[in-house]
Amino acid sequence: MIIQLLGLFLLVGWGAAHAHTPLFDCFDNGNETLTCEGGFSDGASAEGVGVRLLDQQGKVLEQAKLDARGSATFKRPGGEFSVVFDAGAEHQITVLGDDIS
Amino acid sequence: MFPRPLAALLVTAVASLLTAPATAHFLVVHTPKTALLRGEDLPFHLIFTHAFAGGPSMAMDRPERFYFSRRPAAGEPSEEVDLLPYLQAIDWQSEDSRVPAWRATIPRNQVRSLGDYQFVVEPAPYLEAGEDIYIQQFAKVMVNVGGVPGNWSETLGLPAEIHALNKPYANWTGGVFRGVVLSDGVPVPFTQIEVEYLNHALDVDNRRFEEQGQITAPHPSLEAMVILSNAQGEFSFALPKAGWWGFAALNVGPTKQHAGKPLSQDAILWVQVTDLPP
Repeated sequence: MIIQLLGLFLLVGWGAAHAHTPLFDCFDNGNETLTCEGGFSDGASAEGVGVRLLDQQGKVLEQAKLDARGSATFKRPGGEFSVVFDAGAEHQITVLGDDIS
Repeated sequence: MFPRPLAALLVTAVASLLTAPATAHFLVVHTPKTALLRGEDLPFHLIFTHAFAGGPSMAMDRPERFYFSRRPAAGEPSEEVDLLPYLQAIDWQSEDSRVPAWRATIPRNQVRSLGDYQFVVEPAPYLEAGEDIYIQQFAKVMVNVGGVPGNWSETLGLPAEIHALNKPYANWTGGVFRGVVLSDGVPVPFTQIEVEYLNHALDVDNRRFEEQGQITAPHPSLEAMVILSNAQGEFSFALPKAGWWGFAALNVGPTKQHAGKPLSQDAILWVQVTDLPP
């Protein structure tokens, strides 16, 4: 019985971990800052998910964790950059600075 | 779930049908696209009309309320954002004349965040002179930005409301849409729901509906289709064609009189349907 329950838990846990799609976008606030928001297609919270601001060479300029509303705000860097939403393997999304308006 | 005996429910349903609600009127709350990848300026048109026929349209006073409801995060209460300041009066072609209608452009900075936006129009009661009754249609349209679900399944406490059981912005052609008719939050059993296809595209540049409809119905019952909610107030409808489908639960709101005349408080929900890609 215990083995059966363990098997059921693992199945549910696997489903929960893989059934949702990460979603992410960033906006320019018009005051030299940008705000990024993340979430998941099943409505799961993205609180605590790491977000990294990278320069053209991939160097980390700034990093933060999304707050309870799935949001983080950064100072907009000069030059080319990108923002990475990192919720683990297969759950990473990159937004290019040129696409942030 | 519903403690009233079935007999009382049936009496209520029959009484509702006997009040002969005004039919085929639809408050069209139109924006071109409801499933958005990213936030963008959202144009809206508010036209009180006959949806399948593309008119005649009726004069629409400035709405009493126009807002969206959005839940900032899971577990937080939804918040309302007043959109009345964005309304602009326009005139809309109706047969040989033009009647007052409304447009608005909601700026991207109001709708840039990921999630659901429930747009609501609460119009002033309209006097339907031909039937000597007032009509007030509480209309909802839902927009999603980025695919993150939000409060699409929340009811908003409107006097007359359709509670969506499917996302109104995520429906393939041929899919089934389901909802619950509510009167002040209470399901309404065996009540009449009109279903109409927005058959004439909006020509917003000329502020009229296009003359040519997409469908020629062979029978009036296929223009304004009438279905009934079940004993729990639920209904379902298979969506046969891409575009906009309007659901109107008639005369379900609790207030039955306005300015000394009968009042029909109707619940409207618009559903956008998308063809499967080839």
